[in-house]
Amino acid sequence: MPALWWTAEADQLDWHRLLGYVTLGLVLFRILWGVAGSSTARFSSFIKGPRAIAAYVGDLVRGRTDKLVIGHNPLGGLSVAAMLALIVADVVLGLFATDEDGDHPGPFDKFLTFDQGSAVTQWHHWVFNALVALICLHLAAIVFYAVVKRDNLVGPMFTGRKTSASAVDPMTRAPLWRLLAAAAIAAASAVLIARS
Amino acid sequence: MKEAGKVRKHSILTWTAAAMIVGAAGVAVGADMASVIQARQAHYKQIGAASKGIFDELNKASPSATVIQGYAKTIDGLAPQIPSWFPAGSGPDAGVKTHARPEIWSDAAGFAQVAQAFATEAHHFDQVAAAGDVNADRAEFTSLGKACGACHSKYRAKD
Repeated sequence: MPALWWTAEADQLDWHRLLGYVTLGLVLFRILWGVAGSSTARFSSFIKGPRAIAAYVGDLVRGRTDKLVIGHNPLGGLSVAAMLALIVADVVLGLFATDEDGDHPGPFDKFLTFDQGSAVTQWHHWVFNALVALICLHLAAIVFYAVVKRDNLVGPMFTGRKTSASAVDPMTRAPLWRLLAAAAIAAASAVLIARS
Repeated sequence: MKEAGKVRKHSILTWTAAAMIVGAAGVAVGADMASVIQARQAHYKQIGAASKGIFDELNKASPSATVIQGYAKTIDGLAPQIPSWFPAGSGPDAGVKTHARPEIWSDAAGFAQVAQAFATEAHHFDQVAAAGDVNADRAEFTSLGKACGACHSKYRAKD
């Protein structure tokens, strides 16, 4: 994210575009993994409706920590959905965006008129601002969990290991071939779009 | 006492009238600068659209020399007008949102130079386009882009 921001600020738009394609691949992978990956990564496991979210917030506020959740809690799930949506939106807008002088347009800017390209570019900037706000909120929440609730959220996302006081359904891993397949499909899609 | 009162009333009226005239003039000048800036931005968007037209055309599988000629004419027509789009007072001090930097007026000689260079290059590109060779257009378009950048890098503010 910082590199994407900096390359745009510093007029390094060729790098910016490349990083955009990388982001596209990463996001595609995450979406595929969210459908076919390990149990805690799957969207179905943590994307809950408003009632579940409200219930979780109620527990949080009342300090009831006996209901341990592995993987994303309903509030975190909302955050993940919002963040993925914003990143996807910004990447897609970026495909159609351009710099002010039209020297470094995105690959699909040629389908738009000058005025349409300007508008899309403006939205591309605004969506990024919204994303930054959400990222700050997300980071603050992680810090809150680490410091106040003494819960290391990020570590288990990488190692797959977490100790819990209460009984909980452990995460089921997805087979390795699915990881590789998701990565391959995501990478190939990103490259295809980059080449178009 | 009555005379003094009469004089004061006249003074108040005179001052109020004077203030209103000055105020109206200020509003008129402000509105005038706003329309100057709006017109300027509209013209630059025309150049931008023509430039994008050339860029997109050159990137097609078989670019049309005729299409490029049309855009080249547009830019060639607008480029020499550029200095007239920047009357004194139409910069950031106008109170209207503009990307024009104060250097345009504080470094008037420098600005005039890059503006003239752009007009020359725009005309040169128009002539190259008239010849109808797309490859030559492509080569010359790079120079045109550089001429745009020469002014923008110094005299246009970033977002």
